[in-house]
Amino acid sequence: MTPIPFRGRGRQAWTIAKIELRRAFFAKRSLWVYALALLPALIFFGHGLEATLRIERLTNRGVISAALMDSVREGETAEEVKTRLGKPAGENWSTRTQRVRQRAANAGTTTHIIEPTVDARFVRLNVIRPSYSGQPMARIYEFEVYGPDGKVNLALRRPATGSQPCSPDQAPEKAVNGSVAGGETDRWCSNNWPLFLQVDLGAARPVTRFVLKHASAGGEQDESDTRDFNIQVSSDGKSFATVVTSTGAGFVDKRIEYGQTVYFDGQRQARLQFVDGKLQSRDVHKALDFEEDRAIFAGIFQYFYLRLAIFFGCLGIFMNLFRAEMSNRTLHFWFLAPARREVLLAGKYAAGLIASSVIFGGGAVLTFAALLWPHDAVEVQAYWDAGGISHAFWYAAAAVLGCVGYGSVFLAVGLYVRNPIIPAAVLLAWEGINGILPHMLQKMSVLYYLQSLCPVPAPMESDAPALIRLLAAPAAPASGPGAILGLLLLTAFALCIAALAVRRMQISYGAET
Amino acid sequence: MTVPVSAERYGEPGRSANAQGPPAVIFDEVSKFYGEVLGVNRVTLNIPPGITSLVGPNGSGKTTLMNMMTGLIFPDHGRILMRGISPRDPEALMRVTGYATQYDTAPRWATGFTFITTGLLLFGYERSEAESRAWKALERVRLTDAATRKVAAYSKGMRQRVRLAQAIAHDPDLLVLDEPLNGLDPLVRAETIDMFRSLAAEGKHVILSSHVLQEVDLISDQVVLIANGMIVAEGKIRNVRDEIDEHPSQYIIRCRGRDASGVAAQLFREEHITEIKLHEDRLGMLVMTRDREQFARALGRIALDGHRIDSVVPADENVDALYEYLIGGES
Repeated sequence: MTPIPFRGRGRQAWTIAKIELRRAFFAKRSLWVYALALLPALIFFGHGLEATLRIERLTNRGVISAALMDSVREGETAEEVKTRLGKPAGENWSTRTQRVRQRAANAGTTTHIIEPTVDARFVRLNVIRPSYSGQPMARIYEFEVYGPDGKVNLALRRPATGSQPCSPDQAPEKAVNGSVAGGETDRWCSNNWPLFLQVDLGAARPVTRFVLKHASAGGEQDESDTRDFNIQVSSDGKSFATVVTSTGAGFVDKRIEYGQTVYFDGQRQARLQFVDGKLQSRDVHKALDFEEDRAIFAGIFQYFYLRLAIFFGCLGIFMNLFRAEMSNRTLHFWFLAPARREVLLAGKYAAGLIASSVIFGGGAVLTFAALLWPHDAVEVQAYWDAGGISHAFWYAAAAVLGCVGYGSVFLAVGLYVRNPIIPAAVLLAWEGINGILPHMLQKMSVLYYLQSLCPVPAPMESDAPALIRLLAAPAAPASGPGAILGLLLLTAFALCIAALAVRRMQISYGAET
Repeated sequence: MTVPVSAERYGEPGRSANAQGPPAVIFDEVSKFYGEVLGVNRVTLNIPPGITSLVGPNGSGKTTLMNMMTGLIFPDHGRILMRGISPRDPEALMRVTGYATQYDTAPRWATGFTFITTGLLLFGYERSEAESRAWKALERVRLTDAATRKVAAYSKGMRQRVRLAQAIAHDPDLLVLDEPLNGLDPLVRAETIDMFRSLAAEGKHVILSSHVLQEVDLISDQVVLIANGMIVAEGKIRNVRDEIDEHPSQYIIRCRGRDASGVAAQLFREEHITEIKLHEDRLGMLVMTRDREQFARALGRIALDGHRIDSVVPADENVDALYEYLIGGES
């Protein structure tokens, strides 16, 4: 039998591809592929639009010189800055109130005068809120009681009782020992509620004044001073009358003024933070940072575009090439054409490849364009001359080669497996753990080759966990030409597997429905 | 170069391979299983050119045989040669073969015209050539009026015709047609049959299938009767018809005025009558005869005798009865 010349089969495959383009581009069930391809472009376009509008707004409100912007120093007042730099491009003032303890300046000693004088044998201090800090522990260094003569401390070394002390050497009698200078063992301390301290004056005496020495009188923080308490007196130790109530208070609302002013020097945006009128911090950054944007692009391209968008896009396009015709019951038309099954496979693959390359290569180029457009023409030109054009080319090439590789894999998978979910999950995991596989197995992954083709390594936080770093960036990237060759070999292998399946394929629509 | 990949250019393998005699479609002990289920079993056929009808009830294996002829499915055992070409070589086989399947589908985008044109492009025809051939094929099935409408919007008969047009558009030597006369109106059907005859006269194979023997027995040069995946009878239509003639015919006779028993008594004297069953209402009966012509003459005599016969209806014109008989006769 005369073999059909290669040119004839090539033409036939091309004819098939032309017919199949419609399915590859516009299959109803894979229109979401476009959303995947266009998402990064949309993100960058949105970012560029936002930045452009922001710069325009700032420019309209006034531009200052770079030298002036750099002259701002911390500690300057808002007024000084405004006088020197002029009206800011943006301004935002707010006040916040905060409750702070008013400094009493009494060194931890409070005096409570009783008017008129009462007779008392027993005096009792009830601690209701033992501290300003909230610590539930009462600390009294001295509890003094004075009569009308005002000189003799009636409580001094009298028998004292009270709630159980924090430790035996901080017992109630420490509050009536006449000294405050002995540190923490010179105080009565208790955290056993109810907190009280009672002194027996020996006999009913007239009392006019109490003096309490709190924590800070003994050298502790004034936050530990007693906040709320009352003092009661009794002649029999049973029925008490309250003579002093102190609700500590000692808090005031403090207003703090926060301010933020924004200055713009045509390129950089300075954000000045003022607290109570004084410059606290200044944050100067570029309004539109080309370098940063390019790093973000590299990240999005590698982590989203290559790993997810092209992966799932090729799944949608290539698995559909045969699968859709089985469920539509139209595959037999191809099998009844005077063409080898391999030619049909080649034609369909070519159609899928053209569609996916246009969609994803176009998406990459569009994203790159969206990345460039808001930036300064001079800066872009400089980047373009310094290898930017080759970056653009390699991004597009990586996207197209991604379609070549993933396309062949999914074409083959689609011929063997009906449900795309499981093979997709397996393949995604396989590509994902690529970085930690032995070197031999790494070569069986599309991503391995694609990553070496990307012109800029993807940004990776240096403090990311080691495993994540490993997963995200496989170890030894092949060289450029080697990567392309390897990818094409992998593709050829996948296509051979697919050809094997398509040669053996029989029409059985019955099982499909 | 108008036709870069044409049949002429690559020769006609079928003829060269069968140099001694006319090219034939050969099945050699072909079996096909669908899982556990038997599709066809040890089918051996040698089909010469001309019109051949595969006849059998639904599910007997006709479509399976046709799908195997055209390489849509592959036999599990045995060998098939289509005019010398293996169905595993679609590049050679489908260039000279047209197959109108029973799959009632077409691509969503296709109009009758683009559907056939697109198919022809795969043969390597230039677009203009493909279009003129597509138009000619649509003319032959009288579908030019609907040529620019979507196939999906066609009626069942029109879809049947568009598939037929696609099968004949590239002038194949081998035409495989699954139930091609289904759903055709009488005029188109007659024209289609004429077309089959003229193709057969040119030495081509026209292999068609039907589940109604009467539909095809007049037009077929040979008939292959299939039941349960096995060939039951095969050969020239006359031989097969003789086999059918041995099969007793059944008729239902309705008489007027309770005359059935009289008619039955007369009929019973005839030698070719094998059985008579009287109906309960005494107005009708079921008669079995070995000879239809003698039975017709006998009825004439009875009528002349004054018996009043209302109607005589053949009762076994359904194919299933025929097959039951044919299968029973074999075993």
